[in-house]
Amino acid sequence: MDGDPAEMNVSQSSSSMEVKEDVDTRSDSENQAAGDALVDINFCGSTPMLWKVSDMKKCRSVGVIGALVGSLARQPRQNVRLGRPLELLQEEALLLVETGSAAASLHTQDCGDEEMHSEAVWQYEAGLESSYKEQCALALEDKKTVLRRIINEKENGTDDSGNAIRDRLNALDQAFCFPLSAMAVQLCTARAGFSHCPEERSFLSTDWPVPRDERLNTRFCVYRDLRSKGFYLTSAGKFGGDFLVYPGDPLRFHAHFIALCISMDEELPLCDILSIARLGSNVKKTVLLCSPQSRNETGKDESVEGDVVYSSLQWSSMV
Amino acid sequence: MADSDTSTDAHKLNVYQELLSPSELFEARSRSHKIPVRGQKDFLPDGSEKQTARLQQSLDEHWTLLAEERVERLGNLVKAVWIPEETLVELQSPAGKFWQTMGFSERGKQYLHPEEALYLMECGNVQVFYRDLPLSIQEGYERFLSCESVTLHQYQVFGHLKRLGYVVNRFEPSSVPSTYERQLNLPASSRDKQKKQLKRKRSQSPVSSEKQNTSPVEKTTAEDQSDELVKNSESPAATDLPPQEPMQSAEASDRTWWIEGDVQPPPAQAQSTAPRWDFSSISFPDLGSRRSRSVCLASPDRSLLPGALEVGDCDVTPWLSRLNVKQEKLSRRDRERQRERDRYRRDVNSDREVRRCRNWAEYLQLLEERRRRRQKDRPAHLWEREVTPLTQPGQCASHRELLDQISIVKSSSLSEGVSRLSPSDQWKISFDVYQPDTVAEFKKSHPGKPYSRMCVCSFDGPVPDLHAMKQLSFQSGDVPVTFAVVDHGDISFYCFKDFKLPTDVY
Repeated sequence: MDGDPAEMNVSQSSSSMEVKEDVDTRSDSENQAAGDALVDINFCGSTPMLWKVSDMKKCRSVGVIGALVGSLARQPRQNVRLGRPLELLQEEALLLVETGSAAASLHTQDCGDEEMHSEAVWQYEAGLESSYKEQCALALEDKKTVLRRIINEKENGTDDSGNAIRDRLNALDQAFCFPLSAMAVQLCTARAGFSHCPEERSFLSTDWPVPRDERLNTRFCVYRDLRSKGFYLTSAGKFGGDFLVYPGDPLRFHAHFIALCISMDEELPLCDILSIARLGSNVKKTVLLCSPQSRNETGKDESVEGDVVYSSLQWSSMV
Repeated sequence: MADSDTSTDAHKLNVYQELLSPSELFEARSRSHKIPVRGQKDFLPDGSEKQTARLQQSLDEHWTLLAEERVERLGNLVKAVWIPEETLVELQSPAGKFWQTMGFSERGKQYLHPEEALYLMECGNVQVFYRDLPLSIQEGYERFLSCESVTLHQYQVFGHLKRLGYVVNRFEPSSVPSTYERQLNLPASSRDKQKKQLKRKRSQSPVSSEKQNTSPVEKTTAEDQSDELVKNSESPAATDLPPQEPMQSAEASDRTWWIEGDVQPPPAQAQSTAPRWDFSSISFPDLGSRRSRSVCLASPDRSLLPGALEVGDCDVTPWLSRLNVKQEKLSRRDRERQRERDRYRRDVNSDREVRRCRNWAEYLQLLEERRRRRQKDRPAHLWEREVTPLTQPGQCASHRELLDQISIVKSSSLSEGVSRLSPSDQWKISFDVYQPDTVAEFKKSHPGKPYSRMCVCSFDGPVPDLHAMKQLSFQSGDVPVTFAVVDHGDISFYCFKDFKLPTDVY
């Protein structure tokens, strides 16, 4: 693990050293299996996003689900099923960075190196050329196969049209034309290797684009705690809460809880409690009021230790 | 050194994984376009083999769909170039079907807004280049979306609506016709000319009221003047004062060429002088009403006439004959309508006491007396204390009047007091949305009235308060405003409807 970019990130934020021990050993082995490559978190403004499928798989294996927000490549004009990018919650991104599984980077600057850029352009155009030639050959082969199949079928029959087709087949090598406009081209989703500047800049956790205020810290504590208990969490804005808590992967299971993150000394008006309780009973989910307990004595913002207290709301009848 | 090597190696790995080989590209022609349907969800994980297998199958399907890259025929792609200085995408090959509802032309070139270009990239219709290299979708997101052009949330709402089939355009506050314009019902051509003029000055801030004062003086042609007046009336958040000023200055400037000496603004003069006639002592004869018998006017007082002028009695018969004093003959339907209208109406002139008044002053005196008389009838224990009743019997003729009288809080409408509000930078309308079934006839130059206007916000932010709602609905004119709330990719739409409590019982 020496001289590794992963190691470089871990040593910069000392607090995460302790946390690393608590992390699933499974993710460690998975990382090693993938060649110790870190998950790339790219920020679009202040929103953390994942673009590569391998990154998304890795994150899901550690329980980070995220939300897909782009068009699906197969059917871009519908909203039922969306595609890449995967938007991460601030808490999800923080967890990934703190456990050393990911490196966050800002939007890369334009490559100032003219030489490297013209090299990249040359590579791209050469790639297009070779792709075109190969596709030409493939198309020719494909056409020949089709004609041969027709000839075989005709040979089973009794007419003479087979001869005309055989002539066509023989003339194909000269007469075949595959125009440039027929060539298939890929529109890359994630930033490809040969595109602009390959260097990514990773930054310290103090450079987080969103300020680490009390609200974010409260939510993060609750998120981290529930995640460590094995639950899967997604956003719950439409349910009036902070997180939806699933017992298993959201692809296959319904959520059981709506988690509302409140700090211990925050005052919550009674009508808010009533409305969230009503909402919970309407959608058949239990409402959890979650509050992280004592802060670290050293006064650090992120409470490394500390339990989270959970209270569930339930209507009870007095008969 | 070692670090940079491993990083480029890692990227090479990535390149292999996500780039398709020519044979894969070729095979992609016959890819399926169907999306598998998701099955029912379970309630609790029970550790069973069946569940694990089903989960794995769902996940595999999920990854396959996500990993699929966009492959298009080069001939189907429109080539375009990203211009960061103008935050625009310029088309370099002819536009496709999307041109009917998206993009705009300027100086002979075709352009797309960044959100439109990114959406078309995601649909696989357009390939955008920057510095001779094609941009990936990721680069599109990172370069096109920013706080200055379109934010990520705004783009997510844009994409969501476009995928549903709506036509979505950027909102231009100056394109909303004011209530005055709507009353005038201006022909479409003058609106479009304005829009074109405004489009060219896209980068400038909206015309301020100071500029409006100078421009009317410069314009000479009649058409331009009408345009200017309309532009003046459209100024956003304008109070009553600025539109009058340019017109006054226009008048003043028009007058200077024939009035020499000091030019005093006429309204000021009129206000300072007091009326010179004492109407209480002058009686005006009533010649027009049917009931008047006098067809002869007495000669006026000699002291009022100039010089040694003498005027005799005036016979008004020939004058009256020129007036149409015939009684109106109404059709039966008109008569019925009039009867309905006058059912509870009492003609003031049929009141004997009113007829005895010879002039306005006497009439006002009569009203005052009547009011005092009414007050005398009122019980002292109710009316002489600090707290008095809000109304008394017989004062109101309808429920609405009564409710108005006794209401402590006056009802108000959403548009009341809007002009006094300061513009807010937190709440802005982002898009105009047109319905999908209008796509066939949609014309970019003539989009018409949108179905709704979108204001993008998120659950992290505040709920719109009355100030924001008044402002937005005023800015939007007669088109309803919908709030698109973005929550981590999920979008909910809310709108507020004006509701009037019933005040009359019929």
